[in-house]
Order: sequence, then C-alpha cells, then structure tokens
Amino acid sequence: MIDIAGILMENISYVLLITLGGMLISFSVHFVPVGGAPAAMAQATGIGTGTVQLAAGAGLTGLITAGTVMQVSDSLPLIIAAGAVGAMIMMSVTMIVGTWVYVYGVGVPPASAKVKYDPITKDRQDLYVSQGTEGHGLPTVSYVSGVIGGLLGGGGGALVYYALMSAGLDTGIAMANLVGLASVFAVGIFFVNAVIPSYNIGGTIEGFHDPKFKKWPKAVFSSLIATFMCALVAVLTIGGL
Amino acid sequence: MSAGGPGGEAHGGVAPGKMIAFGVLGGLIGIYAAHFLSIINPAFSFIGALGAICAIVWGADAVRRVCSYGLGTGVPSIGMIALGMGVIASLFGLAVGGIAGPIVALIAASIIGLVIGLLANKVLGMNIPIMEKSMVEIGGAGALAIVGLSTTMAGTFMFDEVLALVVAPGYIAVIFIAGGMGILHPFNACLGPDEEQDRTLAVAFEKGGIAMIIAGIVSMVVSTTAAIPTIMIGAFIWYISFAKFYELTKRDAYKVLGTGLLPTEEELQ
Repeated sequence: MIDIAGILMENISYVLLITLGGMLISFSVHFVPVGGAPAAMAQATGIGTGTVQLAAGAGLTGLITAGTVMQVSDSLPLIIAAGAVGAMIMMSVTMIVGTWVYVYGVGVPPASAKVKYDPITKDRQDLYVSQGTEGHGLPTVSYVSGVIGGLLGGGGGALVYYALMSAGLDTGIAMANLVGLASVFAVGIFFVNAVIPSYNIGGTIEGFHDPKFKKWPKAVFSSLIATFMCALVAVLTIGGL
Repeated sequence: MSAGGPGGEAHGGVAPGKMIAFGVLGGLIGIYAAHFLSIINPAFSFIGALGAICAIVWGADAVRRVCSYGLGTGVPSIGMIALGMGVIASLFGLAVGGIAGPIVALIAASIIGLVIGLLANKVLGMNIPIMEKSMVEIGGAGALAIVGLSTTMAGTFMFDEVLALVVAPGYIAVIFIAGGMGILHPFNACLGPDEEQDRTLAVAFEKGGIAMIIAGIVSMVVSTTAAIPTIMIGAFIWYISFAKFYELTKRDAYKVLGTGLLPTEEELQ
C-alpha cells in the first residue's frame, strides 16, 4: 500500500496549483462567447457550438503549446504564457473564421441582443438584431471577451499540466509514461472544469457583458471543490509511482 | 431535449436498477474474466471490451434518464464529464488498487460523481431530482468503460502494462472519445418526444461495437491472437445492433418511404 499522507504532504503545493488551474479554467469559460445550436443557425450571438467543445478545443491547444515549451524550459511563467498564447490563438482563429461565415456566408451583421451599445466600440447594437433572434455573429466585445477566455483557460490548463509533470519528475518514472499520464489527467480535469461552468450559464453566454456572467462565483466555487478532489487523486497516482 | 426547455422524467423500458446491475456486474465480470483468462490465452482479452459495452449501455441509459429533464446545454457535455471523471478515477484505481483496481476505480468515480452531482444541484441550482444519482452512475460507467477497453488493448489491467501500452502511446485518447461517444451519442441521436429506451440503447450497443473494433485494432500491437477475435466479435455486435436499430427506427417511424436516387441533370431540365 502506498504512503498516502507522505505523498500528499510532499506534493501539497502541486495539489493547490492544480486546483488554482481548475478554477481559472472554470472562470475562463464564462468569457467565451458560445451560443450552442441557436448560434449555429445565426439566431443567437456567439460561436455556434457547445461550451465544452470550444473550451476543450482552446484548452487542448494550450496544453500542446505549454508541453512544447516545457521540453526546453522549466520556467513556470514561460510555460503559463505559452499555454495562454496557444489557447488565445485558437480562440481568435475560431472566432474570426466564424465571423467570416456569419458575415459573408449567412449575411448577418455581428450584433448583441444583451446590450444596447457595445461596451468597447460604443456602436449601437439593437438596430442590427434581426427580428425573432437573440443577436448573431460576434460583435467586438464578444471577440475581446473570447480572447480573454483563451488567456485564462490556456493559462489554467498549462498550470495544471505543469503541476502534474512536476509532481512526477522526482519519482524516476520514464518520461514518455509521465507525459502520457500528466496529459490524460490534465485533459480529464479540463473537461470536468469545462462542463461545470457550462451548466452554470445554461449552455450559452455572450461574454463578460452578458448578465449571466455575474453567476461566475458559483461555478468557480464548484470547480474549487471538484478540482481539489481530482487533484488529490491525480497527485496520489503520479506521486505514488 | 438538449437546448430546449425543461423536460420530464424518462418513461418506459427496463427499470434503472436492472440497468445498474447489468452495467456494474457485466463490466466487472468482463474486466476480471479478460484479465485472468488472458493469462491462459491472450485471445480471451476481448471479454474486457464486452464488459466495457455493458458499462457503455448502462452509462447511455443514465444519460437518457438525466438528460430527459433538460440540462440547458447539449447532451455531449455530460458524456465528456463522464469520461473526464472516469479517466481520472480509473487511472487512480489501477495505480493504487492492484488486483482490486477496477473496483477502486468504480468507487473513486462514484465519489467524484456524487460530489459533482451535489455541486450541480446545490451550488449551481440545476434542481434535477436525479442529478446526484445519475452523476454517480455516469462516472462509474465512464470508469468501467475505460478500464474495460484498456484491458482489451493491453491484455491486463495491471497499471505498468496499461501505462506503457495504452497511456504512453496515446491510445487512451482513442478510448476517451470512443467511450464518450458510446455514452453521450445514443440519447443525443434519439432524443425527442418519441424517444424509446430500446432504440436508444441499440445505438449504445452499436457504438460499443465500434469501440470494441478500435480496441481490437490497437491490441494488434500486443498480440494478433488477441486482436482477431476482438475485431470479429466487435464487428458482429455492430452489425446485429445496427440492424436492430434500423428495425426499431422503422417501428417508431410514422412511415418509411424510399425517395429514390437524386434526379440526373437531364431529368431536371
């Protein structure tokens, strides 16, 4: 039987880092403008897919960039920055291509139905919202919000991956096995923390200007508890090898 | 009712208790039988995938019951959280549990599921009466599906082999998506006012068959003796369940009509 208390005491800082990373991911989902099936038909503002798919797409790209940088450096700020930039690029590309499709394909102007004026550009919104829809496309504020979401989510994912890798480095486990294990745990924790906020916002949100954004403390608190449990389990597995 | 309004309780079909027994017992028996019989002959490793199919069908039924209430977000999210919880719990279970690994994995997944279910209802205020119970079931089903498919791929559920043969080469990602598809896709494909349990679960069996074929292809790395029966039986299960699904779809449809082929360009002139 493994020495549970000993491993936990040794790695408690990593457990806390993973928990912090999970909370960042949970918070980040509230920034991502996601509209689900209605947005896919240009009947709601945001990107036309589910929260989880979008957060996972951006987060996994962040994991790849963070993992790549981790091969050449062990500086935590650099790894977090790499993860954040990877996820931000992924989010930006998804949103700009989505905007092209909405504007040139569907033929709708990007407009928000939740606010009268775009908080960033101060452009009038309500005049451009088609009747019977909840807005469409990605107005500037949603775009900026999505990039912030990528920053936080990618940074959080990189933090989780860094902590898991660091917990296993001293155990003498083969590098290929450690990378596999840390990635799988990071992905598992990412999915759990992408789904919890998605339930909190009911599947759709426009960005930080959306009234639903104010509900974020509930999701972050839930993620704190859920990630802490997952972090204990993950660190026990990796540290106990 | 993925993005629609609140639904209600799912009705009809086999009782939840029977599905739980089918998933837990079938899953565990399959995994242990595959583990011990593989020592005698690697060809028996396909039984692990049969256990995983039991777990997948159970998970799909739990998704069906909880998603009938309407989550406000898409059905796929619950399949992804199932596998997220499942992959964490199953690797933990196999690492610390030794021979009791699959049972430890099932228990760990159930505890994580219970906590997430409680958080969803009490903190996030989803107010779905069966949320806690369903999250326990979905997490457990996810864990058993992962352990079952890993056992088929590696021929054992001992952690060192699973780590070297399934996790390190990245096949665990294939299990993640194939198992997740099996749990989330059936209800996502069949939901609606005319949803029937047997038709939904026929899709679950069909997805399980696909996951089994994939596990068989991967197990080719370990031994061809193990791969061939797994692929053959997986293909057989896929064919039987797909035929069953098609039959049930025709039963539930108002009318099935052939539209013929698309008209050619000349005919349209």
